[in-house]
Amino acid sequence: MNIIQIVSLSLVATILVIILKQYRPEFSILISLIACIFVVLFAFEKIQTIISMLNDLIFASGINKTFFEILIKITGIAYIVELASNLCADAGEKAIASKVEFAGKVLIVTMSVPIITTLIETITEVI
Amino acid sequence: MDVELLFKIAAIGILVAVLHQVLVRAGREDQAMMTTLTGLVIVLAMVVEQISDLFNTVKTLFNL
Repeated sequence: MNIIQIVSLSLVATILVIILKQYRPEFSILISLIACIFVVLFAFEKIQTIISMLNDLIFASGINKTFFEILIKITGIAYIVELASNLCADAGEKAIASKVEFAGKVLIVTMSVPIITTLIETITEVI
Repeated sequence: MDVELLFKIAAIGILVAVLHQVLVRAGREDQAMMTTLTGLVIVLAMVVEQISDLFNTVKTLFNL
């Protein structure tokens, strides 16, 4: 599964979606969902190596590990939320898409609270 | 596995669309609705399997 397969898969899926859009719109959404999932799964395999490399780097440099874990979680949330909101927008449901994005943002901010508090503490120590 | 699934779903979609038209022309709208729904359920069963696969990958990868 390399980039050429990915590109051809997404083009074929787009054509299938257009074919089916006028007859059975619900199937067209399912086809685009499946195509998105395949491309994302392909990318996530590659991300695995990046994350393990970053893990080793962070572990070697001795920086606080919890921040890195929070960052990884935030990127995970961002990917999934972006996938869901684009799919909803494609299907014409802009309201649902924006609500999914809103929930994702709220979750990301709540997860980054510890980082913000430690940042403020370090700043107050300096001043 | 993945490309075939895409074509399988497209084939079911087209088949259901054709069946729907045929049944509607034959005057049996209720059966047309039934075939559409069954086709949709079959495809949804396949799609749900893929979605759970994606969510498991995300959970393990980003330890969400």
